[in-house]
Amino acid sequence: MDMNEIKEIFFQECEEQLAELESGLLKLNDGDRDPETVNAVFRAVHSIKGGAGAFGLDDLVAFAHVFETTLDCVRSNKLEPNQDVLKVMLKSADVLADLTNAARDGGYVDESRSRALVKELEALANGEVPVASAEAPKAQPKPAVAAPTDDSGFQPIPFNFDGFDEDETPADAGQVYEISFKPRRDLYSKGNEAALLLRDLSRIGEMSINCDLESLPDLDKLDPEESYVSWMISLRTTRSEDEIRAVFEFAEWDCDLEVRAAEASPSGEELPMVPVPFDLSILNDDASAEAPAPSPTRDAAETPAAAAETATEASKMAAAAARVERKESAAATAAAAAASNTAAAAAGQTIRVDLDRVDRLINLVGELVINQAMLSQSVIENDTTGTSSINMGLEELQQLTREIQDSVMAIRAQPVKPVFQRMSRIVREVADMVGKSIRLVTEGENTEVDKTVIDKLAEPLTHMIRNAVDHGIETPEKREAAGKDPEGTIKLTAKHRSGRIVIELVDDGAGINRERVRQKAIDNDLIAADANLTDEEIDNLIFAPGFSTADKISDISGRGVGMDVVKRSIQALGGRISISSRPGQGSTFTMSLPLTLAVLDGMVVTVAGQTLVVPLTAIVETLQPEAAAVHSFGANQRLISIRNSFCPLVDVGRILNFRSTQANPVEGVALLVESEGGGQRALMVDAIQGQRQVVIKSLEANYTHVPGIAAATILGDGRVALILDVDAVVAASRGQSLKPEMSLAATG
Amino acid sequence: MAAKKAASGTLKLSPTMDLNEASALHAKLLSMRGGNIVIDASQVERLGVQCAQVLVAGARAWQADKKSYVVKQASDAFAKTMQLIGIDAEHLVAKEI
Amino acid sequence: MKKKVLTVDDSRTIRNMLLVTLNNAGFETFQAEDGVEGLEVLEGANPDVIVTDINMPRLDGFGFIEGVRRNEKYRAVPILVLTTESDAEKKNRARQAGATGWIVKPFDPAKLIDAIERVTA
Repeated sequence: MDMNEIKEIFFQECEEQLAELESGLLKLNDGDRDPETVNAVFRAVHSIKGGAGAFGLDDLVAFAHVFETTLDCVRSNKLEPNQDVLKVMLKSADVLADLTNAARDGGYVDESRSRALVKELEALANGEVPVASAEAPKAQPKPAVAAPTDDSGFQPIPFNFDGFDEDETPADAGQVYEISFKPRRDLYSKGNEAALLLRDLSRIGEMSINCDLESLPDLDKLDPEESYVSWMISLRTTRSEDEIRAVFEFAEWDCDLEVRAAEASPSGEELPMVPVPFDLSILNDDASAEAPAPSPTRDAAETPAAAAETATEASKMAAAAARVERKESAAATAAAAAASNTAAAAAGQTIRVDLDRVDRLINLVGELVINQAMLSQSVIENDTTGTSSINMGLEELQQLTREIQDSVMAIRAQPVKPVFQRMSRIVREVADMVGKSIRLVTEGENTEVDKTVIDKLAEPLTHMIRNAVDHGIETPEKREAAGKDPEGTIKLTAKHRSGRIVIELVDDGAGINRERVRQKAIDNDLIAADANLTDEEIDNLIFAPGFSTADKISDISGRGVGMDVVKRSIQALGGRISISSRPGQGSTFTMSLPLTLAVLDGMVVTVAGQTLVVPLTAIVETLQPEAAAVHSFGANQRLISIRNSFCPLVDVGRILNFRSTQANPVEGVALLVESEGGGQRALMVDAIQGQRQVVIKSLEANYTHVPGIAAATILGDGRVALILDVDAVVAASRGQSLKPEMSLAATG
Repeated sequence: MAAKKAASGTLKLSPTMDLNEASALHAKLLSMRGGNIVIDASQVERLGVQCAQVLVAGARAWQADKKSYVVKQASDAFAKTMQLIGIDAEHLVAKEI
Repeated sequence: MKKKVLTVDDSRTIRNMLLVTLNNAGFETFQAEDGVEGLEVLEGANPDVIVTDINMPRLDGFGFIEGVRRNEKYRAVPILVLTTESDAEKKNRARQAGATGWIVKPFDPAKLIDAIERVTA
């Protein structure tokens, strides 16, 4: 793993933390006062700040720092998280998200907004807390402020740990310091060790030491954990006094320490104290006299005592000590090493997998499904008996393949929660802009759907939410006048229904103004002035291309695009959308989407010699037209009567330009399809080959977008079949041409 | 070799002579009072000041008892640390006088 | 023998950084995600030094340090606090809980290794 990978992990983690932050703030907003909620919110910001600091993302650090400081005031009960405070916090969470995105891939950050929020956050922190604790946040968002440094204490200084080889400190240079060091009991109980401090001290200069054992009590009165010994140290070094003190950084509270520069002494003069070298020959002499078992290897212990006695340099002392006999202690480490295999990190319930890997697997399983179908087909063609064990085996293989496919698809399934969470920010921002007060209620956030669907869901959903806030919900004044709660409610729900995901967006606003919609449609030549439309048909006019009820195109509901764009995006996903509205009580948008974009249940049909797949979800029924039921209408239009109602008959071959003249309906099959809001159509095809699940291959990825065609697939016999875009075909039949730019499929 | 003092024991120091070990070492030494002692420092990898304190106090106690107290086969780490913290070998020896 | 380090931090980013830095520096690394897990894995890890964050769910760094210091076997293990808190109050609380030293974030590999070297033999 390298730093770039860790950075990627950091950004993934940021996403999680931001979600955590937002849901925590929303809980607080709902009156939750659990300290753990506040802590979780604080930790989220803190964690982002920590990681950002490690990667030098200064803007992010600076903003997170100010945010964190204010949150800390809430955490320590210095600041009451009322609605006003939370409003600022929620906005800050949004800016933090923007800054994170900007750091990740240079997204847009509204700097004036972030500056304004920094001021607001600081005001909150300063307004409520004593001056003393409010001085921390000084960071500004834009100028590259370094991560907050430790200005109250010590800045670690890098030490050279090369030890005795260090010749930066020649004997004739530097200043001699006299250091008195007396550790207290706490120094040891907190895990510090005087011996290590002395070691580090010896590394920054030439040291001689005098150990004071005066206060060491008798063995039986001794408390083994007490600190009895102290030291007087002479250190000749080129380092400053501060650097010497820095060695004791972790210990300075738990010891008495004095450091003072000794009188300047001529270079080369003896140090004030001459240490006595640790001469093990004394020990070993005694050992030879007294030890019950003579040491067989003690020949090696011939320490040149004379040399050691006069040695004053630490290096020489070390060398002498090193020459002392020592026993190899390799065996001792073996036992300890055995314990180390115990993995410390607990195994989690989830693993993280790179999406590319999952996609590859899904593609491969797709190939497997196709291959299995091809294999089945060729066996059937070559085996006329149809009862062989091969067939049974193939059936099992087919079953297994389907199961593998379902399991693999489940890997990519994800809850819609992140998308829903993003919506609460949209509601906040837009409501703020238009001066409305709106609450977003979400339900079924844990409903799962394929990640590819989720990714494409955000855009149309955002658009619809903006629309609901901007147009759906009335102003507080109007609502009050109508006897409603001045605060509007938008409810966003997700649920599974018959193999699809259904997302509902319900607002309690004014509902569709049908008079106005109708007038607008007439003005825009979408309908005839005297058209007789049902309420439902009028409501669905808002999805018509080029329709917009907003008196002026606002920045809020989109840049000149209306609900038709939403509808097309949903359709591009193989989904449907519809609206129902009750005047004065609000509107409900219902979207139904496939759970995956990878497979599709389709009806395989023939049109002008071509094989097409029609999504099964679009088909209401199939029928064999009788000559008497078909009526010509206008120049090229034909209708078919089905159970006493008329339905436009659409020749798919003609629409797709597979043929130049209309086919004879009686020779073909009609597929009754339901298109979104536009009622039913009967699609004429030449023949039905059967139903099967097909693996969707994107045409855009492999070829280019083809009008009226949603995607392609490979059939069991190896032929490529095109998947029909039913709604595009129906739209085309209404007289709209199949122009590439009409379809939004390419924008996904 | 006729009857010298038979009551003599060996104390093997553990590799990690830290805060925890100081109490254990103290207890062991107290239990071995009265006889000669050989302290085997061959396995010592880390030596903390608190254990050094106990060892010095031990040497003094043995000296007071007029029993022998010997550190043998000191490991490199043992010797270096003692030297670093300024405790000379003399402080770790008691002679049977 | 490799020195063993137990790191306790709830941030996946920091955990990964610690892991990479410590492994590169030749340490054997054990990791836990919060104080509770830190105390649980103490026995298996048998660390020479512990590096812990302060702000963590379930059991924060202060509680974790106190837990280690109460543990008969591991109470002497040096504990370094990894924290962005630079103010004296937080350091003080960590020290009172029994911290050996601290490393002020932003995370810097050199600072981390330095601090570990300082408190271990």
